[in-house]
Amino acid sequence: MRRQGTLALVLLAPALALLAAVLAWPLLAGLHLSLRDARIVGTTGEFVGLANYAAVLGDHEFWRSARLSLIWVAANAALQTVLALAAALILHQRWRGVSVARTWIVLSWIVPTVVVVMIWRWLFSTSGGVVNPALMGLGLTDAPVGFFARPETAFATLVFINSWRWFPFIALMMLAGLSRIPADLYEAARVDGAGPWRRFTRITWPLLAPTLTVLLVIGTLLSFNVFDVIWLMTSGGPAGGTRTLPVLIYETAFRGYRISEAATIAVLSTVLLMAFAVFATSRLALAGEAR
Amino acid sequence: MRRAPAWSVALWGGVAVIAGLVLTPFWFVVTGSIKAPQEIIARVPTVIPESFTLQHYDKLLAASDYAGYLVNSLIVATASTALTLALAIPAGYAFFRLQFRGRGALYRTILLAYAFPSIVVLVPLFAMFARVGLVDTRAALVLVNAAFALPFAIWMLRAFFAQIPPEIEEAARLDGGPPLTVLRRILLPLIAPGIGAVAIFAFVTAWTEYVFASVLILSDARRPLPVGFAGIIGQYQVDWGLLLAGASLAILPVVLLFAAIGRWFVAGLTEGAVK
Repeated sequence: MRRQGTLALVLLAPALALLAAVLAWPLLAGLHLSLRDARIVGTTGEFVGLANYAAVLGDHEFWRSARLSLIWVAANAALQTVLALAAALILHQRWRGVSVARTWIVLSWIVPTVVVVMIWRWLFSTSGGVVNPALMGLGLTDAPVGFFARPETAFATLVFINSWRWFPFIALMMLAGLSRIPADLYEAARVDGAGPWRRFTRITWPLLAPTLTVLLVIGTLLSFNVFDVIWLMTSGGPAGGTRTLPVLIYETAFRGYRISEAATIAVLSTVLLMAFAVFATSRLALAGEAR
Repeated sequence: MRRAPAWSVALWGGVAVIAGLVLTPFWFVVTGSIKAPQEIIARVPTVIPESFTLQHYDKLLAASDYAGYLVNSLIVATASTALTLALAIPAGYAFFRLQFRGRGALYRTILLAYAFPSIVVLVPLFAMFARVGLVDTRAALVLVNAAFALPFAIWMLRAFFAQIPPEIEEAARLDGGPPLTVLRRILLPLIAPGIGAVAIFAFVTAWTEYVFASVLILSDARRPLPVGFAGIIGQYQVDWGLLLAGASLAILPVVLLFAAIGRWFVAGLTEGAVK
């Protein structure tokens, strides 16, 4: 037992050192910055106490971004989960080519986000592109739709693009949950004369529910943190309509040169997510112990 | 097993929708990159290319340092993968095969790293790297990428270590092997699929990363592909042929990697995740 403890420490030390240096220490440094008045990267400014927090919490822009982040997370969770569940159920069936499909479904996830953004910007483009000609060909619209011209459509289009990128990854993790449901349950249900719909509602859904909860949590954390797709596509525009909290943090730090205020928003976001994550990981741990 | 016809129709319909959703964009991008300029901007896009040209690729490689960015990305992603594996395998072994005090709490703390908005650490990290001279080096990107891939990588290894019967390790230890030799000789070959899965996850994490690279790298010669390509996009706004060629070339390396060891990744996710 003692020897195992020493060995564990030796084996864990390098990984912990890296996480401490790249994640934990900068987080503390950020906390420190949020109590000071620094403006550009590299300076530390003077101590101002909680003044930044008062300023941020009193700022209309912060609350607007917080609301957008909330909608962003909820919309992505909904769309991703529906798409991923459909894909996972299909990949769980036996059909010719299913093993190839299981490998290649994650194609959209292995491509650099810059490329994802470029692809969709072209597909949704108002001059040429693919989506607008298709819509006009079907007679759904007379003139090209400017998907990124209005805040609401830009936001919805970004939700679609982000979910398109992530749903295959989540589908594979759902598939993991599905493949853990004992096959004899389905056999027994079939013998009792249960059709596909009954088998889904009585066996698949209840047994998959814990997995779905876990994935919903992970999906929430992942989509809250999405920055690059939004920044590269709309830079938070038009009219701030896609400026979620990560975008606001980046803008405040690197465009507004108000480092301390950016750090404050970052700390507030982290507290929010941490509260959510502590709740979530205690559930994950419980699921692990029940194994 | 026979299916009702209606069920088969529904199944293949679903397959067609999902496949269309994932593959259609890639089809238009890759075929678009070999179309003549006037065909790319045609009012009605052609599904099957009617022209063939490599001029966009020629122009891309001649007019920009695309090849240099590609090499930088390959170096950074490979090194990040190696570092992630070197750290995650011992850590995974410690977490899932050894008993020590505070194991559960530490494991949960590491999983919390998931919850970091990565943008939060960007500003302090830049200041810190500036102080130790890591700004504008590829090593900085390797450290960042490995740190972000690490929590999930450790988590993925969990199920693979758990699957190994304790008797195997016990027997090897009784034969007199020190723990690290047992790990290397006996356990590593047994968890090879898990290692493959973690390697792909780490590679993809590094390959797709944009934000940190855009801030931490200052000189053009050290830019990885996502940042370099973002610059090209800014410069050649509407030269769609050139941009589509760039997108196609950026897709190629990960597709090759996936063709080689993609099956392991799926096995790793489906066996390792969500236990």
